[in-house]
Amino acid sequence: MLAKWIASVSVAVLAAVAAPVIAQEAPTQTVAAAAVPQFSPRADEAAEQRTEFRTLDEDVQDLKKQALDLNRDLFLLEEELLFPSNTQTAVFVSMDVGEFFGLDSVELKIDNKDVANYLYTERESEALLKGGVQRLFIGNLKAGEHELVAVFTGQGPHTRDYRRAASLVFEKGIGPKYIELTISDRETKQQPEFLVKEWE
Amino acid sequence: MKERMRALWSGAALVGLLVAAGTVSAATQLKGAEAPDFALKSFSGKNLRLSEYRGEVVMLSFWATWCGDCRAQLTELSAMRDRYQDAGVELLAVSLDQSARQASEVSAGASYPVLHDAAGEVGRLYDVTKMPVMVLIDRDGVVREVFEGFKRGNEAEYLKHVQALLRE
Repeated sequence: MLAKWIASVSVAVLAAVAAPVIAQEAPTQTVAAAAVPQFSPRADEAAEQRTEFRTLDEDVQDLKKQALDLNRDLFLLEEELLFPSNTQTAVFVSMDVGEFFGLDSVELKIDNKDVANYLYTERESEALLKGGVQRLFIGNLKAGEHELVAVFTGQGPHTRDYRRAASLVFEKGIGPKYIELTISDRETKQQPEFLVKEWE
Repeated sequence: MKERMRALWSGAALVGLLVAAGTVSAATQLKGAEAPDFALKSFSGKNLRLSEYRGEVVMLSFWATWCGDCRAQLTELSAMRDRYQDAGVELLAVSLDQSARQASEVSAGASYPVLHDAAGEVGRLYDVTKMPVMVLIDRDGVVREVFEGFKRGNEAEYLKHVQALLRE
């Protein structure tokens, strides 16, 4: 009885051990039976590696995208925390044509306090001339009346040194405030013009 | 007695450490960090911004007209810049003189951009406490080396570092 039981157990164990081996050998037999050329396993491997690389590349791209998205979200969150919309005030600089004025620097004062002083390189001026808009300042201001003074320096007509100020008294409400400093040409006077606009 | 000696020794070691920490200048602490960006007016009249030199190896030299070593260093750096300019090496010499006229006279004819930091803002940004100071910035805008002072022969070390950065 015992001998029979031992025999049946050993048969079961053997079957269990041999099963994966048989399973592993099976595909080789199938390949051999299909009489595929000898280089095919290598080609398969290469294809497999390519797929693996592609998946890896896709994973990397995906991770990069996630990092960028995260970075953007963090940036927005940081801005919202640092400059809540009820106090946020931003000042932008733009240029239109610029034939009569070569921008060198802009000094910005709000309520008689220096808040920004920016020196423009040739490349930055060119970018503005091509339609770029620069955010010169972002900060917090409480609701109420404020005065903004922007002093522009650069080269005016006939390459003369030019310094001009523009000012604006504005009312800061409960929402964010956006102000644009625009430098444009006044053809009739052959002079540059400096405008301060409030965005609604 | 033994314990007192041990306490004395540990106190001396602490003082030694503090002194050693104090001798590491603030400028050298910038090593490995992103080079603080700035824009300054050059004597040629153009405004230059450091970040616009990304992709080039930048030798940022802080100097003054009254500093003889600074002028000796600039001569060597200028030669190196002329030699490797095509490979992407630029020299920016920041004068910390209060008088622009004097600095402009001394640097007249320089082939490299000479910038004027009259307010000393950029000097403070880089914690320049000695002269001359040469900050070596790699193509990614990271401070890789900070050299304080200059002695004849230092140029060989500069060259070694610049060549290493060019090979990266």
